Amino acid sequence: MASPMRIRAAAKDGVTEVRVLMSHVMETGQRKDSSGAVIPAHFITELTAKHNDKVVLSAEFGPSVSTNPYLAFKFNGGAKGDKVAVTWVDNKGETRTDEVQVA
Amino acid sequence: MSRFSKTLIALLVAGAATSAMAFDRYQGIGRPATTAEVKAWDIDVRPDFVGLPKGSGNVDRGIELWETHCASCHGVFGESNEVFTPIVGGTTLKDIETGRVEALVTGSSPQRTTLMKVPTVSTLFDYIQRAMPWTAPKSLSPDDVYAILAYLLNLGEIVPADYVLSDENIREVQERMPNRNGMTTDHGMWPGASAAKGGIGNGGKPDVKNVACMKDCKKEVEIVSALPDYAQDAHGNLAEQNRPVGQTRGKQTGAPSEPAGDGKQSAAAATLALANEKGCMACHGVANKIIGPGYNEIAQKYQGQADAEAKLIAKVKNGGQGTWGAIPMPPQGHVADEDIKRLVEWILEGAKAQ
Repeated sequence: MASPMRIRAAAKDGVTEVRVLMSHVMETGQRKDSSGAVIPAHFITELTAKHNDKVVLSAEFGPSVSTNPYLAFKFNGGAKGDKVAVTWVDNKGETRTDEVQVA
Repeated sequence: MSRFSKTLIALLVAGAATSAMAFDRYQGIGRPATTAEVKAWDIDVRPDFVGLPKGSGNVDRGIELWETHCASCHGVFGESNEVFTPIVGGTTLKDIETGRVEALVTGSSPQRTTLMKVPTVSTLFDYIQRAMPWTAPKSLSPDDVYAILAYLLNLGEIVPADYVLSDENIREVQERMPNRNGMTTDHGMWPGASAAKGGIGNGGKPDVKNVACMKDCKKEVEIVSALPDYAQDAHGNLAEQNRPVGQTRGKQTGAPSEPAGDGKQSAAAATLALANEKGCMACHGVANKIIGPGYNEIAQKYQGQADAEAKLIAKVKNGGQGTWGAIPMPPQGHVADEDIKRLVEWILEGAKAQ
């Protein structure tokens, strides 16, 4: 089970800024370990961010994204106490969702 | 002047002399620091928490302060790698248990973060209090420093999100530092006796064992750049590939020269080196015109002339113009007569490199 994401969401003047730090190995599948065997690819493929139940961001990730990716985005609307949930799915089918309240 | 005031002056002088005792070597310079001044400078927080100010701060307050003062350089989660290396990351809950960061051993983390390396929480407190924020060091109150530190420790999952860090419970945090057992002092950089004898160092034993040379030692260290024999011919003759003027000259390379069995060959090589040294090669090539004529052209022109040598020696020494065009040959007064003679003989013999 992957470690939780760190999410910070702050509303200001009708715009909510969300910052997310994901915890993921993001293995490209092109690296080799010390014995020369290829390390299997393991990376996030899809990411969805929801404001309450409405999708505000949908993104496709790939092997070029770094280990433990950092993502920041803004969306219109959002008030203090609203919920922001971020979900990722990786190429092994693993998924994780974390939720915070807008501050 | 009354007798009283004379006594007073004498007393004042005596007093000044006493307080200046410690400054004997630099009379009239400086004064002892006052207690308040020493206190203002004495801000260090040691691993045994000597010097730690009283105060407390929680994680939430730390987030506020972090976003205001710290996040622009260190990233919201202490993860940024743009200005400085990341503060947070690379540690696991298992590391907190063992006190040794596994990623430092296996190299599995892409980068060494602060929390991976630092063994003592007091160092973090000291550094933040002393040097942060970068633009306004020492501007944070002790409570602010506690709060910021609490947030960082929370990011590293060392303390829970509702933690209130204070001077009272910071010792508990020390017991959870991920790399608390990662520090060794058993080397010469640490002062004092070995750990067995109650110190923290190794008794001043150096880490390197360089034995001093006691016989047949070189008197002087000569620093040269050398091209090993096997590499001499790697790129042909470097002298021909570099400009013959200016500071940088190519070295004469090629197949490694035969060991000096033939005296004449090595003498020619030495003369070529002399020509280089005296600056002749800046204007004259061995086999080509540069600014002045090539040596091959000179040798050809004066071939068979009995007085060629004397003529050329005079030309080199006093300079000349006209024989090869309008560009003059400047007088070479700085070159010794015998060197000029040697060079001219060498030119007339065909300016051989070997």
